[in-house]
Amino acid sequence: MSEDQAAAVKETSAVEKQPETTGAEAPTVTITKRMMVAIDESDSSFYALQWVIDHFSNLLMTTEAAEAEGGLLTVVHVQSPSHHFAAFPAGPGGATAVYASSSMIESVKKAQQEASAALLSRALQMCRAKQIRTETLVLEGEAKDMICQAVEQMHVDLLVVGSRGLGKIKRAFIGSVSDYCAHHANCPILIVKPPKEITT
Amino acid sequence: MASGSERVVVVGVDDSTHSYHALETALDLFFTPFKSNPQFKLVVLHARLPATSVLGFAGPGTVDIIPLVEQDLDKTADLVKKKCTDVCSAKSVEITSLEVVEGDPRNIMLEAAERHHASVLVLGSHGYGAVKRVFLGSVSDYLAHHAHCSVMIVKKPKAKHASNDKH
Repeated sequence: MSEDQAAAVKETSAVEKQPETTGAEAPTVTITKRMMVAIDESDSSFYALQWVIDHFSNLLMTTEAAEAEGGLLTVVHVQSPSHHFAAFPAGPGGATAVYASSSMIESVKKAQQEASAALLSRALQMCRAKQIRTETLVLEGEAKDMICQAVEQMHVDLLVVGSRGLGKIKRAFIGSVSDYCAHHANCPILIVKPPKEITT
Repeated sequence: MASGSERVVVVGVDDSTHSYHALETALDLFFTPFKSNPQFKLVVLHARLPATSVLGFAGPGTVDIIPLVEQDLDKTADLVKKKCTDVCSAKSVEITSLEVVEGDPRNIMLEAAERHHASVLVLGSHGYGAVKRVFLGSVSDYLAHHAHCSVMIVKKPKAKHASNDKH
């Protein structure tokens, strides 16, 4: 099960890997504190990103003092797998199989990639505004599995997640991906709660 | 929301290696990088279980052991306080408040987070009760769900061998 996903990580891992630096030089910073923030389309995850930027700026900025600390922020977005749109053989005869045309698959993939790119550029803008040393990462697969795998493979020192993602169930105090990662990720996990609302 | 210099980190400790590891991790992330420009205040909290909860299953004769259990719990609390002070001074971090409160750790932590307007609550996992099958301790799980502030859960120190099979 993990073979395919591991391959997916390696293939899609470098959509945009640009360590941000203030000067023209690319300093060789030994990364001792790699933080990973998982984002999706939810506000909660972007709030988590902002929280990290606000609270850990001293560790992550591209200033000399911060570089001595060796911090790096990795923003990761996991795309849900597009194989859902593959062939659906239907009916006993086999003659009624419905195949997604390749152009349809292409356009779905393209839409997904554009959506990811938009999300990541929004994240990068937030980081750039505060001169945070950032890299971005796009993975494909089940969010909770991919995040935990990425934590292991990239030796992440702190994983940061929002508390509630796309399923806006008010009674759930913590989303399923965040909950899964809290249980299974191999590193410390920081669950960022949204700011206190007046209405509960 | 508190202003920049007033942000509070509350770390919950019991007398376990996981807790001290969580404390050190919190120091490394929130305090040591900011030495010249401290941005956070540190509150260390030890929830001391009441003797009655420890003796849950004891039969007759419990009444006699209560004072002994209390004494033992007090000793543990003092040990925890000392150890935390040592860990923090080793990293030159000042503890704003070191508290020992008796009661259920879940409620104590929640209440302390409210009282101090904590920005983040830090806990080890596998705190109370070494239930090995549960990868996330029940106190940290509870707080991850119910705290209003951000919660950082620090797992056991990286083992040399990851021989756990999780699915």
